[in-house]
Parts: sequence; C-alpha cells; structure tokens
Amino acid sequence: MKKRIMAVLLAAASVVAVAGCSNSGSGSSNSTTTTAATAAADNGGAAAADTTAGGGDAAPAAAGSDEGNVFNIYAWNEEFKGFFEKYMPGYDAGAATLNGVPVKWTINPSDDGVYQDKLDAALQAQASASADDKVDMFLAEADYILKYTDSDYTMDISQIGLSQVDTEYTYTVQAASDSNGKIKGVSFQCCPSALIYRRSIAKEVIGSDDPADVQAALDSWDKYDAVAAKAKDLGYYMHASFAETYRVFSNNATSAWVTNGELTIPDVVDKWTEQAKSYYDKGYILDTLPGVWDDGKTAQMFADGKSMCFFGPAWYFNFCMGNAQDPDKGCYGDWAICEGPQAHFWGGTWILAATGTDNPSLVADVMRAFTENEEVCENLVKNEGQFSNNKTVNAKFANDPDFGNAFLGNQNDTAVFSEMTDNIVWANATIYDQLCNEKYQEFIKDYINGTVDKNTALANFYGYINEKYPAVVTP
Amino acid sequence: MSSTTSTAPAKHKSISYAKWGYLFIAPFFIIYITCSLIPLLSTFYNSLFENYMDGLKQIGPNFVGLDNFVKLFTPRSDGRLEILNYTINTMVMWIMGAVPQVVFALLLAVIFTSERLKIKGQTFFKTVIYMPNLIMASAFAMLFFQIFSSVGPINQIITASGGDVFMFFDKEWSTRSIIAFINFLMWFGNTTILLMAGIMGIDQSLFEAASIDGATSTQVFFKITIPLLMPIIIYVVITALIGGLQMFDVPQIITAGSGRPNNTTKTLVMALNSYIGTSKNYGMAGAVSFVLFVITGILSFIVFRSTEPKKEGKKK
Repeated sequence: MKKRIMAVLLAAASVVAVAGCSNSGSGSSNSTTTTAATAAADNGGAAAADTTAGGGDAAPAAAGSDEGNVFNIYAWNEEFKGFFEKYMPGYDAGAATLNGVPVKWTINPSDDGVYQDKLDAALQAQASASADDKVDMFLAEADYILKYTDSDYTMDISQIGLSQVDTEYTYTVQAASDSNGKIKGVSFQCCPSALIYRRSIAKEVIGSDDPADVQAALDSWDKYDAVAAKAKDLGYYMHASFAETYRVFSNNATSAWVTNGELTIPDVVDKWTEQAKSYYDKGYILDTLPGVWDDGKTAQMFADGKSMCFFGPAWYFNFCMGNAQDPDKGCYGDWAICEGPQAHFWGGTWILAATGTDNPSLVADVMRAFTENEEVCENLVKNEGQFSNNKTVNAKFANDPDFGNAFLGNQNDTAVFSEMTDNIVWANATIYDQLCNEKYQEFIKDYINGTVDKNTALANFYGYINEKYPAVVTP
Repeated sequence: MSSTTSTAPAKHKSISYAKWGYLFIAPFFIIYITCSLIPLLSTFYNSLFENYMDGLKQIGPNFVGLDNFVKLFTPRSDGRLEILNYTINTMVMWIMGAVPQVVFALLLAVIFTSERLKIKGQTFFKTVIYMPNLIMASAFAMLFFQIFSSVGPINQIITASGGDVFMFFDKEWSTRSIIAFINFLMWFGNTTILLMAGIMGIDQSLFEAASIDGATSTQVFFKITIPLLMPIIIYVVITALIGGLQMFDVPQIITAGSGRPNNTTKTLVMALNSYIGTSKNYGMAGAVSFVLFVITGILSFIVFRSTEPKKEGKKK
C-alpha cells in the first residue's frame, strides 16, 4: 500500500513538472489560448445597466438606454486589453467593469488563423446567442479587417453615433471602410513601421548611431545590401529573421494577393524572396532561419545579440521587444529608429462594433476614448510609447524638444513616425491576406534553406491555400 | 430455431429465448447506428456537395456528385498527388512509432509478468510507464518543440560542446522521428498494460510444464507466450493502427499546421482540419474522411487476415 501511495505521489510530481515546463514553453512562444473571463459578477448586472444609461458620456447615443449586462470583447492578444484597463474612462479595474458593466475578454491567438475562425463562429452565432453572450466589440488587424468591414456583421459607426474625425490618419479610416465607403470602425494606433537598429552595432558598422546618419546610409535597398556585407565582415547580422523585411516589401504591393478569385504572388513578395535567399546564401542573416515571431529571432534582442536591424512600428518595440527591455540580459536604451530603405506600415488594431451588440453606447464610448479623448491618447504616447491615431496629440509630442523615448536613447519617436505617415498607402487588401502573408513565409523557407526548389515550395503554398480557401484559384 | 413450437399453442414447454438475446444486444446496435453508421453515411453524403464559406459568405450547398473526390485525386502542378503523400506521411510516422511501441511493450510485459524475475516495485514501474499517457498530446508536442528548437536545451548542449545549431524541425527525418517518438512515449505504457493482462491470462501451468521439459526462455516466449497472446496483439495492433491513422495533434502543433518541411509531416487528419477549419468546407472534408475510412478498413482487414491462424482454413 505504501508503495502505491509513493507511486501516486511520484506520478503527480512529474505531471506537475512536465506541465510546468510546457506552460512556460507555450508562454514564451506567444501562443497561449487564454479566455480571460474577467470575473463577471452577476450581481452588479442590473444595477450596472442603470448607471450606464445615466452616467454615460452624454453622447448622442442613437442606441437606447437598454445596455446589456456583459460587455464582450474579442481580441487576439493582451495589448489593447492592457491599455483599456489602464486608461479607459469609467473602467473600474477592481471590479473589472466599464460604467458598471462587467467586461469579458475572449482572447485567441492569431496563429494559423485561429482568432478569425473563433471570431467568425461567434459572429455567425450572434443572432441566436443570448444577450450576455453576444459579441459587442472586436478587434481586427490590417491583414483581415476587410473581411469584417465588407460584411453585415459590423456596424456603420454612424449607427452608434460616431462620425469621422479629422484628427485620425487617412489610411486608418480607409482601412476601416467597406467597399461602399461606409466607415465601420476606428483604429487606436497608427502604424508606420520603422527600421529599429542597435546603436552600438551601428556605430561599429556605419560609424555613427545618429538616426540621420544611419538613415543616409540605409535609405535604399542597394545601400542596405552594401551595409549588410560590411556588417557580415565585422561579425554581425544585418537582421535576424529571414522574414524581417517581409512587410517592408509586402505592404508596398502594387497588386493584391487575390484578384477576381485568382491568386498571384505580388511582385514585391517575389523580390523579398530573392533578397531573403541571397541574404541566407551570403550569411547576412541567421542561418537557422527563425520566423519573425520565433524565439531564435527574439533572442537576438538581448545585449549579446549580433543583429543590427529590426523592422516594426511603435507597437513592435513596445510590445514585442521584451527581450531588449530585459533588465539583466537586455540592452534598454541602445536602440534608435529611422525610416529605412522604404516607407511602410505594419499591422494596426481596429476596433469594430459587432452587429447585434447589446452595448452600443459602451462600444461608442471606447471608440471615442481611444481616438478623440486627448487625455487617453496622450497617455498612450507618453506612458506606452504608442503612436496614437490622433494627429493633434502626436504633433504636440513631435514638437516637444524635451520628449523622448528612453528605450530609444531618448529619441523622439513620435516626430519620426509623424513624418512617415504621409507615405503610407492603403491598397490591395483582400480578405485572404493573413494566411497568404504568414504561410508564404513559412513554405518558402524550404526553398530558402535549400530543402526543395522554388516551384515545389510554391506548390506546397498553393496546396495549403487551396485547402484553406476553396474559392481561391491558384496557378 | 424451433418454428414448430409456435404453431402449437397447446404446448408451453418450449419458450423462444431469442427475443431476449436480441433485446440484450440491441443497445449496441442502437448506439452503433446512431453514433457510427449515420455519421458515416452523412459524411459520405456531405462529400457529394460543394459547401463552404468564402470569408463570411456561405457558398452552396450545391450537389456536385463525385467532384470532390476527383479534386482530391488530381495531382497538383508538379505531379505530386497530395492525398497519397499525406497517407504515406501518416503511415511512415505511425510505423516509426508503433513498431518500437509494440516490441518495447511486449518486452516490458514479459519482464513484469515473469514468475522467475519477480520484479519488485511493479506498481511503481507500471504507474511510471503509464504516466506519459495522462499528459495531453498537445502539451507533449509543445514541450518537445521547445526542447528541440533552435534555442532549446538540446541545441544549447550541441553548441556548448562545439557543434553547430541543428534545425530539427527543418529536416524531414528529425521532425518525423520526434513526432514518432512522442507517440511512442505516449502509448507504450498503455500497450504494456494490455499485453500484461493478456500474458497473465495465459495458464501458468503451461509455463511450468515448459520449464520442466527444459525449454529455454526464448522457446517459452516464441512457442507459448506469442501464440497464446496473438488475439491481444491483434487487438493492440488494430487499435494502434486506427489511432495512428488519425494522427493529428502532435504533428499539427509541432509544425504549426504547416506540415513542414516540404509537407512531409502533414497527415490525413491535418489535411481534414485544413479543409474544415477556416472555410468549413464540408464537401472536401467529407471526401477526405471517407478516404480515411476506406484506408482504415482495408488495413484493418489486412492485419486481421495476416494474423489469423492458418489452420482455421477448414472451418466448421
């Protein structure tokens, strides 16, 4: 009997150990599925509805005062949730309620299209879902926002009492508009994407860490190639991931992934493939070929990393460069940004109102707070290093000589981004973009590392698209 | 059947017990029909339609006959037939895991049940070898993904001892081996327990008689244990086969659904998941499922036939 108890104890111990390991593993690979149901106490429900109606922002709320008991938000990561919980006026962090209504977050990772799949299922069940389960508000990314704006599952923002505001950047409004020009959502961030470089490495390779000098040395792809060769000679990598520059090319596309139901690889994506292949062959990048989000790449952000350049918008260096900000192994302050070889944008988070929501005035409050409320936007810039979607607020910080981002060695990132916004073009979006962009990078890797020839890698990619999107015809 | 009795109401002696028999086996048939046969037929029925979502728009259902099967068996532009490729991937990874699994389990089962060895702490070992089965396959896959990743412990050991980083998940055979190994690790305990039960069901006097007659351990194993264990081994192989053909979670998580490198780790059920996941493509998914069913049926039949004792030829 003793033996049996011993065995059970040992069993339990090792299960805990293994589970522990795999947990930390999944955490670091950014793919945990958390359904963050923020303790939605039922008892406050009825009272909550009243307070909302009374204490609401005195908005021209087109929707009635019958607000629902649960505010359901769908998102693919914790970024916006963090801002929301800190800065949303009327949000009570202790009770997790907004104007008295409990807020419930449903967070699914976007890898392999999981977020879209789960969201689609919820939206399609919207009509029959009980009031408390209806999706009220959801977030969408540049790669697939069109799918939702161009459908009846999202509401025209004028229906909930909002209109276009001049302080928003034009491309963020274009991206949120359906094909008839109706605006279906707002973005709380504007995402011009910069070249983020390690100052110490730039000093060695380029001879200066001043953003103006670095920009002058890297303002075209030819110059970028030349510097890459020099970096290699000095024992550095130009950038870490083979896909690091993917968005620089792809978000300057002159043709869409899918036109009239037919898939064609955009020219710029083909150009990127050539660059990635030649950089790999020449040893300008890590030969382990990590993807943009892989641990192998993010490890390069530590102080002992050997990679000079990263590419990304404000959300990238604030939300995704944790390793660089690590107090022990990181290199906080050893970074700076410049426009780089080509202006581009990457990602962005749009807030959309789901048709059938029972909390329309709350959705309107959130949209207004994160675009029009200058206090909230200022906090985003000042405390979170965001580049807000409010021109007035951004201009204020861009022109402030004392303003700087400590992570970037006190460089005024808002000023850099402000200059880049004019060059952002929103065009050629399709509803298939997320998987096309993600999976192209993944399948073409077999070609880049020499496992297969290019045609086979492309055939594998086409095969995947055929399975995922039966409506799309591939070459 | 005694049909004569029913025509003679005067005699009450002989009662038909058949109806009780039917009544007792009825639950199985009811459950089989509702939970197995109807889904099977409706899967096939669904495979005859074009029925999917394009973004948020529903397309179909339109009856298209066997078009989905034709599509499935059309080679792609470079001449590769993907459904065949997926089947081979599945079978190869299954065999790589299942053969060592059965051999290893058989060995352990014999050792644990051996009257001569009388291993101490059996309960402990049995618990330990069964334990991997209690952990979710996805957790296992994630754990191994981290262990073998470019910055994981294995590569740290390799680089610390002066080697180059080895990209396990960029090479066909290392990726397949890791997947097979996880499946082996998860299931050998379960198989061991089944085989032990089988061995313990063999009459001990046979073993005693053999040892009195001077048989060696090898002879006992091949002449007594294996033949008498055959029904259990067949059961183990067939269940492992069915489970193996449905291999999904481990390769799906390890390769993030892509079946990389070069689609060599993509299994049939991963393809099924691709079809059903995003576009709710019931037509193609139904076709893949039906093909999977046919393959399973054929292979089970082969296993059954090849392990059937040969003397049975002259049946009663």
